[in-house]
Amino acid sequence: MQPANYDTQGTIFNIQRFSVHDGNGIRTIPFFKGCPLSCKWCSNPESRDPKPQLLFIKQNCNECGDCIEVCEQKALSFDNPNFIDRDKCTTCGKCAEVCLPKALEMKGCKTTVGEVMKELQKDATIYRRSDGGITLSGGEPLLQPEFALELLKACKEKGWHTAMETTGAASKKTIEMVMPFVDLALTDIKAMDPGVHLVATGVSNKVILENLILISEITKTEVRLPLIPDVNSDKQSVKAVCEFVKKMHNVDTIHLLPYHTYGEGKYDLLGMEYTMPKDAKMTTEDIEALQAMVQDMGYHCHIGG
Amino acid sequence: MIEKGFSNPTPRILRLKEDLLNAKPEIESERAVLVTESYKETENLPPVLRRAKALEKILTHLPVTIRDHELIVGSATKHIRSASIFPEYSFNWVEKEFDTMEHRAADPFVVPKDVAKDLHEAFQYWPGKTVSDLGNAYMSSEAKQCIGAGVFTVGNYLNGGVGHITVDYAKVLKVGFRGILDEAYTALEQQDKNAPDYAKRKQFYNAIIVVYSSAIQYAQRYAEYAQKLAQSEKDATRKEELLQIAKNCSRVPEYGATTFYEACQSFWFVQLLIQIEGSGHSISPGRFDQYMHPYLIADKTASKEFAQELIDCIWLKLNDINKCRDELSAQAFAGYAMFQNLIVGGQTEDGVDATNEVSYMCMEATAHVALPQPSFSIRVWQGTPDEFLFRSCEVIRLGLGLPAMYNDEVIIPAMQNRGVTLADARNYDVIGCVEPSIPHKTEGQHDAAFFNVAKILEITLNNGRLNDKQFGPQTGEIESFKSTAELLVAFEKQLEYFVRLLIEACNCADMAHGERAPLPFLSALVDDCIGRGKTVQEGGAIYNFTGPQAFGVSDSADSLYAIQKQVFEDKKITMKQLKAALDANFDRPVELKDIAEGVIKDQKIHQQGLIDTKIHTDHESIRRLLDSTPSYGNDIDEVDMIARKCAQLYCLEIEKYKNPRGGQFQAGIYPVSANVMFGRYVGALPDGRIAQTPLADGVSPRQGKDVNGPTAAANSVSKLDHFLASNGTLYNQKFLPSSLAGDNGLKNFSSMVRSYFDKKGMHIQFNVINRDTLIAAQKHPEQHKDLVVRVAGYSAQFVTLAKDVQDDIISRTEQHF
Repeated sequence: MQPANYDTQGTIFNIQRFSVHDGNGIRTIPFFKGCPLSCKWCSNPESRDPKPQLLFIKQNCNECGDCIEVCEQKALSFDNPNFIDRDKCTTCGKCAEVCLPKALEMKGCKTTVGEVMKELQKDATIYRRSDGGITLSGGEPLLQPEFALELLKACKEKGWHTAMETTGAASKKTIEMVMPFVDLALTDIKAMDPGVHLVATGVSNKVILENLILISEITKTEVRLPLIPDVNSDKQSVKAVCEFVKKMHNVDTIHLLPYHTYGEGKYDLLGMEYTMPKDAKMTTEDIEALQAMVQDMGYHCHIGG
Repeated sequence: MIEKGFSNPTPRILRLKEDLLNAKPEIESERAVLVTESYKETENLPPVLRRAKALEKILTHLPVTIRDHELIVGSATKHIRSASIFPEYSFNWVEKEFDTMEHRAADPFVVPKDVAKDLHEAFQYWPGKTVSDLGNAYMSSEAKQCIGAGVFTVGNYLNGGVGHITVDYAKVLKVGFRGILDEAYTALEQQDKNAPDYAKRKQFYNAIIVVYSSAIQYAQRYAEYAQKLAQSEKDATRKEELLQIAKNCSRVPEYGATTFYEACQSFWFVQLLIQIEGSGHSISPGRFDQYMHPYLIADKTASKEFAQELIDCIWLKLNDINKCRDELSAQAFAGYAMFQNLIVGGQTEDGVDATNEVSYMCMEATAHVALPQPSFSIRVWQGTPDEFLFRSCEVIRLGLGLPAMYNDEVIIPAMQNRGVTLADARNYDVIGCVEPSIPHKTEGQHDAAFFNVAKILEITLNNGRLNDKQFGPQTGEIESFKSTAELLVAFEKQLEYFVRLLIEACNCADMAHGERAPLPFLSALVDDCIGRGKTVQEGGAIYNFTGPQAFGVSDSADSLYAIQKQVFEDKKITMKQLKAALDANFDRPVELKDIAEGVIKDQKIHQQGLIDTKIHTDHESIRRLLDSTPSYGNDIDEVDMIARKCAQLYCLEIEKYKNPRGGQFQAGIYPVSANVMFGRYVGALPDGRIAQTPLADGVSPRQGKDVNGPTAAANSVSKLDHFLASNGTLYNQKFLPSSLAGDNGLKNFSSMVRSYFDKKGMHIQFNVINRDTLIAAQKHPEQHKDLVVRVAGYSAQFVTLAKDVQDDIISRTEQHF
């Protein structure tokens, strides 16, 4: 087999160290930028666009105006209530470089497998001590198949445990190429009803569901179900997911991820609109009832990742 | 299941704890009056005998106190958590602070009128006769000037006893005080009468005979008093207990212990007597599990529950001991800290795992009592059972900041590098905050001084000027430096100059103790004082060290890296601009207050430093630029390696020097709580820090600056050369309780510790408390009297800390799992 190519390029928007909720032990998570889905509850809206994006964090701004001076597109102005004219902005990132109070921040950067590995390497000792490893997340890692593949290969060459959070929205070819390098797949199922899925995420679930079965045949797979009020959190929907999971290969664990609004603030910073209803919420009792149901259907069921 | 939970303490333990929490510390005068009377009577005797006679008088007349419900007896003071005064070390400050002591911010004490009067009379004898007077007489004006300007302080040992030692408890448990008397008599007989120091040796042995004879009598007074109390006791159970206490005290510590109960009582008398003889704190029980275990095994009658209750009782007694410090020192050792460090686990002298049943019982006791004392620690090595580490993580999760964890894999070779044998190094324990030491073989003067590395950087940036006067060598005006390397050369030169003065000051205090305060009781329990015929203070111990502590290492590293990046590499500002901004304190007001007195008049400056106000000037932009520089604590090699360099420079400079006891200086990097107090002496720094705000604590990153998570912070800290800082390093991490929940929390937590130790970190400790809880406790102290937190190398009741120390703890970055 060819050794991992450390020069392969990709775009990520964060590397989160010391994560304990996405796979065994203590892990580092590179977040891939770009996602084919646009789930309206998404808590990482900065992950959707495959290109780097500019964030404006208004409360950090001390109105020094340094950014306005360096912007060649004249996209920034205090007269603009949104501050950034996103039609003019080319996300060159110069303004963020000069912004000392960190009011302007670039989300996402082009990088290489080599650079990411340098960062992942820093916690190698703790992967060993905690039976942890690396989890690719996003966005959708499979949207950058070459980059994901080479990064996973590089991790396997180090002997690290690898996991991937994926929507399954990719081509069969990609899945067959990448997934053999993943020790644990954490696959999301948003909705079984094709119509609901299309409205909530912007894409059909036909290919996704086929792919999830394929993934489970290639590697150990656990299923995650984000519980979204008025979309998929009723008993019927959850039951439908469990029944589908039976068709997958050897899946014994289903995670229920209760809806939260932690991501809401970020929509504003990106100049995006948050369309989830304000009062959408679930009670602990509701969640526990769903957990009991999933367990009755023969699965280990964890609340949260 | 990894989680085991903890049993409930007995009602007795809860009652005794309640009494401790409700106690209002007082000053008591008996000891001071007795020592003064004795000194008046013994002016013609050699110092060691004067000390012996003084202790004899104290032990003969000090009131004997047995508190309600106690099983282990022996108290230095009539009232709970009260303190005696030791005028033979220093007294001026006591008298000066009579009126303010009750209401001062840090560690207040009530001074009853009659006590003040008695003390005032006793103090008339002491001018010119104290350890402090002699130490000061030795010291140069340059060294004194450094102390005044906050470059360093040696106040700890200049004004009080040295303490900081572990004695041979095992020996007392085995042979009793009779055995020690026999040793002294034998030594006296076998002395070569023609030896040049024969007369001096003879006096030392005589002194041992005086103090150990009177110590036996002191225990007898407890036996008689318990007997007397038993006669009038109505409650049959308590009567029985008192009779047992009487029986115990008539047997131990005079003879070897025959039961676990006697062993506990004997241990306590030793612990107490050392703290009556001298005023030094950090009298550390050390490897309690090792020397107590044989007595637990041998005792076939004591139930497991009773043995646990006895250990719990010892834990409570350790909290009853208290010490009154002057106002400035009280700030540096905030929280009535006594630093009686007790350590379990690790390995034996033979290099096999030493964990035993008592190690686990000590964990249980810490959970039962949930108070700051003892400063509970564990040793961890490759062979430490996972179960033991999980259990200690479970104790840490209670939020007491206990136990602290120490890495055998670093400390053993670090000790060997100081000339300690392998077997002795394997037997190390920890003194006070974090100082490794060889039990009953070391006089380490482990807490000899604090040295303010950040102040040295400030002086370097001012070409050797201190408060606008040339003081250090001229090493170049700030504008003349063209690279970090050049700046480091200047920094090193200043460091050399000021370390030399530091050493001088430490040695002055050291000599004063040798000449005026030799301690015969303590010395008989330290090898090889009897063999050498010398007290600990005169060089009788096998290993002799002096350990002055650096702090401000991370502040210096961040500052130097900010200069490297913003001035030399990115050329965002010039040195001239930087200097002007620093001189102007980034346009923030500096309040002129009497910092030498350490008076906190208000918290305004402190708060301004922390709250990012919308000041908008050029200097403020420079501050923001500096502040945005990547900093130590985020696993970034460029800045971490500068931190390593700063720490190394200090350690290597320190270890060049010798002390009067024939030993070597060795550096530590930890602040106790001095980082807050000394921060007030330090002007604006190139890392964007505002003048007078707290410095970073220990080897921890600056407060709130480690933003890449706990592993990144720990990695940065592990890049320092901990082997060189053989007097200890201190790393604090703070976690949310929720992040450690469940078996997974324990597993992840312990793998985090193992991993930090794999990377050769020396020490780590944790505060596991919600930020909200701390803020609530600050607002409503009366509701949080039992909240114990890790301050530095020790834990304290949060509500007893001064507000700025509380703020400092709140501001340390909270790590999430």
